[in-house]
Amino acid sequence: MSEPMVKIRGVRKSYNGIEVLKGVDLNVDRGEVTCLIGPSGSGKSTLLRCINHLEKHDSGELRVDNELVGYEMRNGRLYELTDKRVCENRSRIGMVFQRFNLFQHLTVLENVTVGQRKVLGKNREDASEKARELLARVGLKEKVTSYPSQLSGGQQQRVAIARALAMDPKLMLFDEPTSALDPELVGEVLEVMKDLARSGMTMIVVTHEMGFAREVANSVYFLDGGVIEESGDPRVILSTPSSERLKSFLSKVL
Amino acid sequence: MTTNGDATVKVVPVRHYGRWVGVALVGLLLAMVVHTLFFKVASAKMVCHVVSGARVCHHAMVFRYQWNIVGQYFFTSEILHGLLRTIFLTVVAMVLGIVLGVTIAVMRMSPNRVLSSIAWTYTWFFRGTPVLVQLLFWSFIGAVYPHLTLGIPFLHVTFVHFNVNTSLTIMEACAIGLGLNEGAYMSEIARAGLISVDEGQIEAATSLGMTRRQTLRLVTIPQAMRVIIPPTGNEVISMLKTTSLVSVVGVIDLLGAATNIYSENYEIIPLLIVASLWYLLVTTVLSIGQFYLERRFARGALRTPPPTPIQRLRADLLGVGSKFRTRRGLEVSP
Repeated sequence: MSEPMVKIRGVRKSYNGIEVLKGVDLNVDRGEVTCLIGPSGSGKSTLLRCINHLEKHDSGELRVDNELVGYEMRNGRLYELTDKRVCENRSRIGMVFQRFNLFQHLTVLENVTVGQRKVLGKNREDASEKARELLARVGLKEKVTSYPSQLSGGQQQRVAIARALAMDPKLMLFDEPTSALDPELVGEVLEVMKDLARSGMTMIVVTHEMGFAREVANSVYFLDGGVIEESGDPRVILSTPSSERLKSFLSKVL
Repeated sequence: MTTNGDATVKVVPVRHYGRWVGVALVGLLLAMVVHTLFFKVASAKMVCHVVSGARVCHHAMVFRYQWNIVGQYFFTSEILHGLLRTIFLTVVAMVLGIVLGVTIAVMRMSPNRVLSSIAWTYTWFFRGTPVLVQLLFWSFIGAVYPHLTLGIPFLHVTFVHFNVNTSLTIMEACAIGLGLNEGAYMSEIARAGLISVDEGQIEAATSLGMTRRQTLRLVTIPQAMRVIIPPTGNEVISMLKTTSLVSVVGVIDLLGAATNIYSENYEIIPLLIVASLWYLLVTTVLSIGQFYLERRFARGALRTPPPTPIQRLRADLLGVGSKFRTRRGLEVSP
């Protein structure tokens, strides 16, 4: 068995003295889809943001592809990496945000090529070719020259997924990708994510879509109050939860 | 569609009588302005002719604002040289101000306390003293620093050395002074622009692996420009007029040229009009430039860009035409 793609041990994080992550353990194997569920404020987004170092965790071990995130171990000490090194690590971890965060001043095509050109150093032609291929994959081939403000929420989120995929990520993080969408647009985004899961991408998804978790996820982690209350196979824990908290959470969202 | 039998029912717009009275009043005022500006009035000077042996005298008819003298001086080389100096000072001061302003704004937002405190202090100092005082100070800079050396203090290490009194003209000193002062104002404008960009944009750039510098250059600044341009346009126009202060330290700018001329010929009002018209003309050109610059940086922010003045004029003219065609009432159509 190879090393897991993501390995988290005893990760803690506080903001101004309030502890939001109180020692979290988590494993994600290669090619697996993991869903993080839980009430708002439970720390699931914070955990996700620690994985690509958008937030710095205070203590604990956090490895992606067997490399420490944001730090380097030398002589038994953790050294913070320079901005440039952290950026290199991050470029291989794709992130999709709740509010899409497409670059408003760039066209759809430019949104998908800017990272390839400026971070990976690809030339314009190669970057455009890959971008067109990915936009076709998410069903937005004919929107290349549009600006984000001219697209629907679902279309914007699909562009955001294509933008992240353009960096050839080994891991994709989704932070409530359908929470800001009108109900009728949720399906098109979930469809793209399912397709991605089938292609063997390793994914961690913070979500309130229990149907998606049940259908696609290999494992589900339920966070509450900064700790993992319960985890396991979605078909098991979502139908027969053992903890009281997960029972009451599921009764509210289902 | 509203129908009454076969005929389409017409909607008659409300008559705004109050507005019409307002228009009439404003029209009257406008007529008075035009009259006083452009119609001749009797002057104190008497003109006499001999008509069939008798001497007839009457008051000479003149423009109140002596437009003939305005026209006479409008393109004189002294005025045009002054105008060039004014434009030079504006351009140099604004370029310096914008570069300094962005640098100081970025420093101010740095997580490093030393950098942010220095930036704050700069703004505090240059915004807190009158620009005229700063200009006077810069014009006497040669007295304080006859020789300027850049190096490491206490260690006698020198990088650059030059003689201030011989190599820095008073006009250059003024341009630097105005630019440093402008930097303080521009830094606040740039900072407003930078903090107006949504945090999510920066996070997205970061998650793609962009460095802080790349994020600033590729994502934050292009989007901040939308917020930065209108007040910067304001600053450019304000700077154009602030440069007139340099006449205090003996630089002959546009206003300086005008005052020089009228101190000899006493045609004070016409020469002030000459200067004002030139300031207005340059301001107009700058405003047009600002409009197109704003349009350029609004890409993506608006679903449809605002029409250019030419497009708007065309639409207005077409609109007036259609108004006349349906003057008796607007047709209600499906």
